[in-house]
Parts: sequence; structure tokens; C-alpha cells
Amino acid sequence: MTEDLRIGVFVCECGHNIAGTVDCEAVRAHASTLPDVVVAQRNRYTCSDPGQQQIKQAIAAHNLNRIVVAACTPRLHEPTFRACLAQAGLNSYLLDMANIREQCAWVHQSDPVGATRKAMDAVTMAVARARHLNAQKEIEMPVARAALVIGGGIAGIQASLDLADAGHQVYLVEKQPSIGGKMAQLDKTFPTMDCSI
Amino acid sequence: MMDAGRHPRIKLLAYSEIVSVSGYVGNFSVRVRKKARYVDESACTACGDCAKVCPIVVPNEFEVGLGSRKAIYIPFPQAVPSAYVIDHANCLGDVPIACGKCRDICEIKCIDFDQQDQIINLDVGAIIVATGLDVYDPSALDEYGYTRHENVVTSLEFERLIDAGGPTGGHLIRPSDRKPPKRIGFIQCVGSRTLSGNGDPSASSGQRLSRGRPYCSNICCMNTVKDSLLLKDHYPDTDISVFYMDIRAFGKGFEDLYRRSKEAGVKYIRGLPGEVVEDPVSGNLLLTVDNTTQGRVEQHELDMVVLSIGLVPSEDQAHIKKLLTLSQTDEGFLLESHPKLKPVDTPTRGVYLAGCAEGPKDIKDSVTQASAAAARAQIVLNSDKLKVEAITACVDREVCTGCGLCAKVCPYSAILADSKTKMIAQVLEAKCAGCGACSAECRFDAITMRHFSDAALTAQIDAALAENPENKIVTFACNWCSYAGADYAGVSRMQYPPNARIIRTMCSGRIDEDFILRAFQLGAPVVLVSGCHYADCHYINANRWTQKRVDRLWDRLERKGIRPERLQLEWISAAEGAKFATVMREAERIRQGVTPEEIELTRRVLAEEG
Amino acid sequence: MGENVTFKCLRCGHEFCGVYDTDVERMCPKCRSNSVRRVKDKPAPPAHPPKK
Repeated sequence: MTEDLRIGVFVCECGHNIAGTVDCEAVRAHASTLPDVVVAQRNRYTCSDPGQQQIKQAIAAHNLNRIVVAACTPRLHEPTFRACLAQAGLNSYLLDMANIREQCAWVHQSDPVGATRKAMDAVTMAVARARHLNAQKEIEMPVARAALVIGGGIAGIQASLDLADAGHQVYLVEKQPSIGGKMAQLDKTFPTMDCSI
Repeated sequence: MMDAGRHPRIKLLAYSEIVSVSGYVGNFSVRVRKKARYVDESACTACGDCAKVCPIVVPNEFEVGLGSRKAIYIPFPQAVPSAYVIDHANCLGDVPIACGKCRDICEIKCIDFDQQDQIINLDVGAIIVATGLDVYDPSALDEYGYTRHENVVTSLEFERLIDAGGPTGGHLIRPSDRKPPKRIGFIQCVGSRTLSGNGDPSASSGQRLSRGRPYCSNICCMNTVKDSLLLKDHYPDTDISVFYMDIRAFGKGFEDLYRRSKEAGVKYIRGLPGEVVEDPVSGNLLLTVDNTTQGRVEQHELDMVVLSIGLVPSEDQAHIKKLLTLSQTDEGFLLESHPKLKPVDTPTRGVYLAGCAEGPKDIKDSVTQASAAAARAQIVLNSDKLKVEAITACVDREVCTGCGLCAKVCPYSAILADSKTKMIAQVLEAKCAGCGACSAECRFDAITMRHFSDAALTAQIDAALAENPENKIVTFACNWCSYAGADYAGVSRMQYPPNARIIRTMCSGRIDEDFILRAFQLGAPVVLVSGCHYADCHYINANRWTQKRVDRLWDRLERKGIRPERLQLEWISAAEGAKFATVMREAERIRQGVTPEEIELTRRVLAEEG
Repeated sequence: MGENVTFKCLRCGHEFCGVYDTDVERMCPKCRSNSVRRVKDKPAPPAHPPKK
């Protein structure tokens, strides 16, 4: 690796969601001692606009080239923070997240000491991983401009009509010889008391 | 329905089934089997001459068996497509001596006994799953006597009996003597909100579910309110009793209907009958019920009883779930990406849910969700190009020996290699989904996963075990299921010991044996490998390699004198937060049984090996 | 088809017989763990029960 690593760590309190169990200041302080970490900050809500603004400012001010966000699960906000990096001019793959909410604060509510220790390790692990991350280029794929709808009951019919009315080709596959589903068997339907077909 | 049948951009494939699905968001290849209908769908005018001469009479499914149909039939008069179909199992066939009457009488000659099933290939960018529901079968609830008493019917049967298009032309009669019932009772929550049998671990899931499901089916209260108003409208002097535990009239306009029903004289009695007994002479039904509002046991004599049956997941759903690698909840409905924020998305990108496939709901909610799913799908369909996450495999041409093992384990045939010619492996990036099974399998470390490299994962293991490794449980979790299951445990606030150090990979098939051995060498007392259930693997079957590697490691560990129990393997779905928590507690119990001497010995044995 | 083999649960220690099939998930019938290992040094029970 030729460039110097400059890592920024952002520890989210998520209101009381994380800070209610995990000592976020201790986690932040721990992060600042890790190799190549040049800045470690704490936010009330890192995913909020001010939180993201703080990341962007830190990237500019400290010339950061790797970002670690210790917050919720990456399955929720990885896209958010990837976009934030991109806006700050960093490749979005130079991000790692430490899951200190779903897999830490929320599951160890009666053990703040254990939870804080686990959160610190999660940040250590994320920083370790971040040191080995590289910029990536996403490949682009063409999109087949048609949709498949499986099931011709009321839901399948409505979805098909919406897509078709919006201009897309739709294939509506129904197992039975007719569409209509269970709804067609009903006489009248609530709340309008009208007929189903 | 008609609109969908004649829309120029909707190709209706009725009487068809999905055979296979491959590809990914934006580029799914789907094979559909269009079953032989033996009637030319586009030519048939639905004149019905064929059915008149058909000699075969069978129960009509649409009328839930209350009416009959022929072997050549139209499911119901307003069917779309408006065409007859031959029920192959019951038709006598084309042999002239046997039958062939329908073909002879058809004026436009649209009946073709030689029609074959057709396979149709489709290329689509997005898929909406709207596989619907089945209704609960109350046969197992012996106390209500559905299978024994003719005048006990289900709410679906009642719909057909009161429908002007139904077998009685909309004249409500009771089955035993075809007389109009004057006293009708509705029993609510049949097959819903039932926990009985669930506590018995030895009961099979079929036994556990036969008496009912634990959830509220959402529609049955309002369906009964609606039926009571229909009855009061058509037959004002009918005496109607509704036996319930709670009436849930939560939707817009629902409370108003409920009030109208009460004002019309419908009696709502809080309490579910313990028993329905039939008078063998009159066919009338005697119900015994604990009226919990009045605090007394009552008896009601009724002419007819309607069981307000609940909704259960559709049988066809399991097949679709497997084809699209979706997950399901404990209740058997398809799992959404997030219960509040992504209610129509699924873990498989480009696949969306609509209607009762996702959970019991009424027509309005089904329509709303269908429109939401259509809008979500359009985000994909309206994109010119879709970006694919840069997590694919790269081959180091200097290191690759051309052994071809990587190509063997790739579930997508995305690697070109040939063990005979020893050609350097080549990754077809457009086909690679990024599971990493090849990288774990390569014995020469010649394959790097972009963004999930060996170096990064190894650094995570090292960091996890840098301090007090004896307290840690190194846990590998796959992005789609077990990591999501761990998140779900968090969302549900399920508590477990804080010893796990979780490392995320896209697939459990990515987990190299070297990672696990390194963890043990660094002093980990327990290593847990977790992934999707076999049926849920998001990379077709890449997790079969996980099992093989763990099997191999168990043997290897044992040969080295390391207890195989210290390597745990669990399949945990995205919905199994409870299982994740249990697994964590069990892993901690195992960790406490690992002695410092044992850890030290392991370190030495593995260090000697190098 | 798969052969009949002995399995051992590495969570609770329970041993049981079952069919070895690489396409079927293994689960301990006692504790529901998937840490189920095939025991190789044990003589496998006959593949089919003797016919009467």
C-alpha cells in the first residue's frame, strides 16, 4: 500500500438506543488509540444530516481515506454512509461499519460493561478491516424492461395493472385456469359491501 | 380482472407454473410451464356446448364442492381468460370409443387433445410474488363437528351459498334439508389465535398447526360483520348470533359496519362454544357456550353454524420461496426486508411481495401493498443500468495453478477453468454473485474477493482475539440470514451473553478453513460458523461447501487432539432471532467448559504445524 | 440414495441414526443444534431393516 492510512472513526449514540447501554465516550476514546486512526468523534445520530455533515467535514479537515462508523447494522445504513463518502469525494468502498446497536447494545441491555467491551472490540475489528479495504469500481448491468408477477389474485392483478399502466411489459403467471384467486369466490366484500368480481 | 385480461402490456399466463428462476436483479431468466389446457384459449368463445355433452360430473372446486362441474369446464362464468379447460385427470379422453363428444360438438373446433405442455422463457428485471393464501381446514377441531354435521359450514362455503352466482342462485338454504335457516350462528377465530399443542416439542409441526395458527387472521371479524349485514338485508327476520373472543374492527369504516350490524339486531356473544351437538332428527345444532360478559353458561339452538375460518400460507408458496431464495416467518408467511421500513421488499434484490403471501390481509390492504410493490419494482425497471455491488472474485494470474477447483464449487458457473489444460481460471464478472466459495476453496490463495479479502477477514480475526481471547467466541455470520438473524434478535431485544465477536461474510461458503484454524491458534476457545438454512442459501447452494469444510475440520481437529465440539455450526434464518440468542447462550456454555490448558495446547499444536 | 449412519451432536452429545445425504440439513433431534457430526468409527446400522 503506497498511500498513508488516515482513518476516521464515528461512534453513534443513536439517542439512548446505543448510549443507554454502551459507554460511547469510552468507545470513542478507545478508537482514538488504534493504529492509523487520526480522528475519533461521537455523534448523537450519525445517520442524520448533521451527523453525516460531521463525517464530510472530518474527511476534508483531516484528509481521511478510510471511514469506520460504529452504529447500527450495515444492513440498514451501509448505503447511507456509502453515499455520504461518495459525496465527500471518497470511494464508497472505503467504509466499514461496526454493529454496536442490533448486535450489541440491544442484546446486552443488562450488561453495560460487557456491551461496552464488545463495542470496543467491534470498533477494533472494523478499523483492522478498514486498513485492508481498497477502492472498488461497480460494474453496470443492463435491465430487462419487463416484470414477472406470480399469482393472479387481487394483489397480483393490481400489481400487474399498475406496472402495465406505467408502461412496462408484465407477465402474469397464475397456476389456476383463471385469474381471480380467492377474492373471486366472495359474494360481497367489506367495507363497501360491493361485489368482488 | 377483465382489465388485466385485455391490457395490451399484460401477457396472461394462466394454468401455468414457474419451473426455474436464475439470474439477479434486473436480469432474471424465468422458465414457465404453460400446462396443456386441451382448448385453444384464444379461439374458445365460452359458448358452453362442450360441457353440455360431457358425461363426467365432478365436484366444483370454485363452489368448494357445493356444486358440480363437468370434466371440460370454465372455472366460473366471469373467468379470465374466458375459455374452457379439460380436467385431464377426469376426462375420458379422445379415444373415439371412449368419448370425444366435446370435440365433436365444438363448432369452432378449438378442442385439441394433442396439446402439450409448453415451456416459455422470460427475461424480466423484477419479480412480484403474490401467491396468496389458503383457508384453514377446520376438520381437526372435532368439537365443532365440521366433518360430521351437515349444517356446520365454513365462511367460504357460506359465501358461495349466498352468492347470486353460486350453486343455489343466492337463495340461502342449509345443506341437510335445503330449507332456509332462520337461526344462524357464526363462530369466530376458527383456526386463528390458537396456541394449543404448541408447547409439546414432540408434536410434529403438522400436528401442532392442525388445531389452528397462533396469529390473528385479520379479516374474519369484518367478514362476519359483512355476512351478518347481508343476511339482515336479504332475510331481515333471521336470528343471528356471533360467538367471539374479541371483535377487531380497526380499519377505516369498519367500526361503522360493526355498529350497523349491532343496530340491525345481530347478537354478539363474548365466548367461543365448547361444543356443537347435532339433533339427529331435525339436523339443528345445539351450542354450549360460556358467555363471559354475562358470566353464565348458555345453550343456543341454531339451524346453521358458520365457522369463521382463518387464513394460512399458500401451499404453492414453498416452491416459490425456494426458487427465489426468500425466507419465511415462524408463521409460514414470506419475510419482508424490514417490518416497518421495507414491508414489500425481500432479502432477494428485485423481488417484492404483495398480498397475503406476506401475511393475512384484506382486499384494501392487498391492493395497497400491490401498488407499493409495483412502485418499488419500477425503481428497478426505470433504471437504465443497475450497479452491481463490487464484491466479485478476482484471480491472481501469477498464483493460479489451473487446478480448476474454484470452477467446481462455483454455484453460478461463473469461473472458466479446465483442470486438464491447466488454464488459468477466469472469472465472468457479470455472472459472479460474490459468495466467495471459490476463494475459500482455492488451496493456493489465488482468488481474492473484492471487499471481503483474506487480508481483511484475517485482520478482523486477529483484532477480535488481540486481548483476552479466552473470553471470546469468534462468530462468522452470513450477510443474508444468520447476520440478519442476529440483527433480528437485537430488534426483538432478546438478551444473550456478550462474548461473541461477529465477522460478516456474504456467504458462509466464504469461510476458509484457514480462518477457523487461525482463530484457534490465536487462543479462541470456541468458533461458531453460521449461515442460511439449506433451502434459504442466497447463493443457490454455496453453503453446502460450508458443511463439507466444517466436516473436514472436525476430523482434522480431532486428529490433532483438539475437541471438535469447539467448532460449532448453525443454520440460522433472518427470522430466527430467538435461535441466534439460544445458539449464543449454548456457545457460551461450551466456552466455559474449555480450560486454559486446552487452549494453550491447541496454540502449541497449531503453531508447530505452521 | 444416502446410507444409514450414526451422527453425534457436538452441542449436547446426543447420538442418533440417520440417512447421510449431502443435500439435507442435519439437526439434532434432541437439542435442535446443526452441529451434527457423522461418526465414522462406529459400525453403521444396516441400510435397510431386515425383511420379515
